[in-house]
Amino acid sequence: MNTIWALAGVVIKEMYRRKDFYVLFVLTALITIAAGMVNFFDDPKIVRYVKDICMLLIWISALLIAIVTTARQIPAERESRTIFPLLAKPVTRGQFILGKFFGCWLATGIALLVFYVFFAIITGSREQYWPWLTYLQAIWLQWAMLAVVIALSLCGSIISAAPSSTTTICFIAVAGILLFGGHLNMVALHQSQPLQTIFYTIYFLIPHLEWFDIRDRVIYDWGLVNWLDCVLATLYAAAYTGLFLLLTWLGFRRKSLNT
Amino acid sequence: MKASPYLVLAFVLMVCFTLATGIEPRASTWSNRTKSNNVFSMLFGDGRRLFANQFFTMADVYFHSGYYPSIFDLREEGTKEIVAATHGQAENEEQEKKEDFLGKPKDWIDRFGRHFHITEHTHLEHGNEREILPWLRLAADMDPQKIETYTVGSFFMRMHLNQPREAEAFLREGLRNNPNSYEILFELGQLYDENDHDTGRARDVWQLALHKWSKDPEAVKDNKLFFEEITVHLAQLEREAGNWQQAINWFQAAQKVSPDPNALQQRIDEIKKKMAAQPSPTNSQPH
Amino acid sequence: MSIILKTEKLRVEFTSGELRQTTKVALGSLDLEVNVGEVFGFLGPNGAGKTTAINVLLGFVPPTRGAAYLFGIDVRQPIARQRIGYLPEMTYYYKFLTAEELLRFYARIFGLPRAEADKRIDQLLKLVELEQARKRSIKSYSKGMQQRVGLAQALINNPDLLILDEPTSGLDPLGRMKVREIIQRLKNEGKTVFFSSHELGEVETVCDRVAIINQGELKATGRVSDLVAQHQANLEKAFLDIIGYQTQSAS
Repeated sequence: MNTIWALAGVVIKEMYRRKDFYVLFVLTALITIAAGMVNFFDDPKIVRYVKDICMLLIWISALLIAIVTTARQIPAERESRTIFPLLAKPVTRGQFILGKFFGCWLATGIALLVFYVFFAIITGSREQYWPWLTYLQAIWLQWAMLAVVIALSLCGSIISAAPSSTTTICFIAVAGILLFGGHLNMVALHQSQPLQTIFYTIYFLIPHLEWFDIRDRVIYDWGLVNWLDCVLATLYAAAYTGLFLLLTWLGFRRKSLNT
Repeated sequence: MKASPYLVLAFVLMVCFTLATGIEPRASTWSNRTKSNNVFSMLFGDGRRLFANQFFTMADVYFHSGYYPSIFDLREEGTKEIVAATHGQAENEEQEKKEDFLGKPKDWIDRFGRHFHITEHTHLEHGNEREILPWLRLAADMDPQKIETYTVGSFFMRMHLNQPREAEAFLREGLRNNPNSYEILFELGQLYDENDHDTGRARDVWQLALHKWSKDPEAVKDNKLFFEEITVHLAQLEREAGNWQQAINWFQAAQKVSPDPNALQQRIDEIKKKMAAQPSPTNSQPH
Repeated sequence: MSIILKTEKLRVEFTSGELRQTTKVALGSLDLEVNVGEVFGFLGPNGAGKTTAINVLLGFVPPTRGAAYLFGIDVRQPIARQRIGYLPEMTYYYKFLTAEELLRFYARIFGLPRAEADKRIDQLLKLVELEQARKRSIKSYSKGMQQRVGLAQALINNPDLLILDEPTSGLDPLGRMKVREIIQRLKNEGKTVFFSSHELGEVETVCDRVAIINQGELKATGRVSDLVAQHQANLEKAFLDIIGYQTQSAS
């Protein structure tokens, strides 16, 4: 585990020393504060649209941080050749992948926490209301979803050497799942064979990331998701994360690394 | 001879300044976009109208606290846009509550997913209706010609949020952008009648609305129900004011297009009974 | 004398990506033995198979046939790399880290306790003369400084065997001299050094034994002085003879 945490530590250092996170945070903060300062019909109590905008920005930023940070990890190691002295040490390729995964996941988690603290301050200052448990649940589920996204991006970075193409493909896939994943069964209903079977197969195979999006519950104050469902969703995310990490390892374990 | 880089820099700056002073008067005529005081107009130009419907829908989503059909649900169930139905009509609300666009879960993925999303049909109340206002404001900014935005916004402000002055200002903004809108005039009349109890202004505005309607051939042809609605409102207004003959005249005008003329006849009969018991003070004709 | 590095009939074939057809034999059947405490030079022209052999030893490339051992352990097992240090040809280390952080990271990988790691980092930064720059991020380092920080990372675990791939490549004369000094010092400490190089003068100066390969085949192995005596020429001439290069004067 020491090796994995050492590798993860480097990824976390990389995140807070690069500009990406700060740019996204400042952008989110500026847009949210600007939105919060607009006066609509002289009513200072209006708050949901600020929550909505801020949450949307948090989701986009978190996805960007997760995918961009992950997609560049292995290609950057190969390009700068740091992978060679690293794997020349007693580090297995599995540990290397796990280290990168945990590094990206923890880094994204830290970023997520900073974003949510900002969100809580902004909305709390207007509403005088802090539903901490709801926020905690929202962060946890989003972080669990990001684990799947990070594992998927890591898997993509083994297939495609260019971080830009991995980022684009992963972003399209994740956005597609978030927007349409839950509705594929309805789309399938309106198709004839064999399209119907194809759509159903995709529907049952893809990770349903849209479950983890409980923004509406936060924005409209719908309260907590049942904790048991939360646990089940976490297990679901863990299963898909494990699947993608396994695929990554299978692709990477026999890959020749020519110096 | 070698020029100092600072001299070159100064020269280039001078050229830039000279060009700017020469071009500026011409450039100001090239486009009006940057002169707009509306940020969306500046960013998107006329393309901003594309977003107006989306923002109007967002208001509807907020009104239902996130319980809202996706395009896939709409395709499945043929669910309509809800905001019109929620226009303060209790019977529609009840009917709407019966409409469960989600239906029964289709599979385990669908069933489990419902634990995380909103599956309960509710409407904002107790002043929380204010939350829809930003989206209506944005919809109006995006498409100033979308009349429904002004009427819906005004309705919520005057009926649920006790903001009749803001509602009036919003309607007047709508009128500035749509001077021939009989719908906005009608809503403005309602504000004067129901909130301000200013019968005179309400009457004037409604009569103007009726005039605008009559000058619009398409409306006369396709929106006969509006004629009924406004004449009935005028009739009720005159009845409340004690102008019984006028009230009867308006009801009779409404009867010509009403799908239920007998109901209106009953009201006329009631007024006539009252007239028989007590003579009417005025007897003017409708415009 | 015990053997620290060994290859047995090591063969590596690279196949083309699309048709999976054999396109190149990078190593034919390499038999090598390196003894404890010696500095071993691994020579050959470009494309001879030096880097491929090192890649197999480090587990980057799986052998097609044959086997390779470090400390008697098959190189496919990560534990075989516990007591080695490796310096690749030219590496750009994590730019966002300082030299100290980089060395601490590698120390953690070897599981060095904090106090021992601190001591080792101090020693190594002094050895590679980067004490003044230890808190500076690596992105501000010159090429020579990067190579020296690379050497420091290769030594973090106090390895018994050091594998260096063209350690002086791209360095100025001063940089080369410093690297040579470090190798000499390691030799004096009793470490085994296995390195590939094009710089025959450098090899002549520091190596006890050399192996010369060409087109994936081992052509000669032995003490530098023996090879020179055998070919009755300097090392450069002997090297050219061994790889079969016909000089203009000879032809």
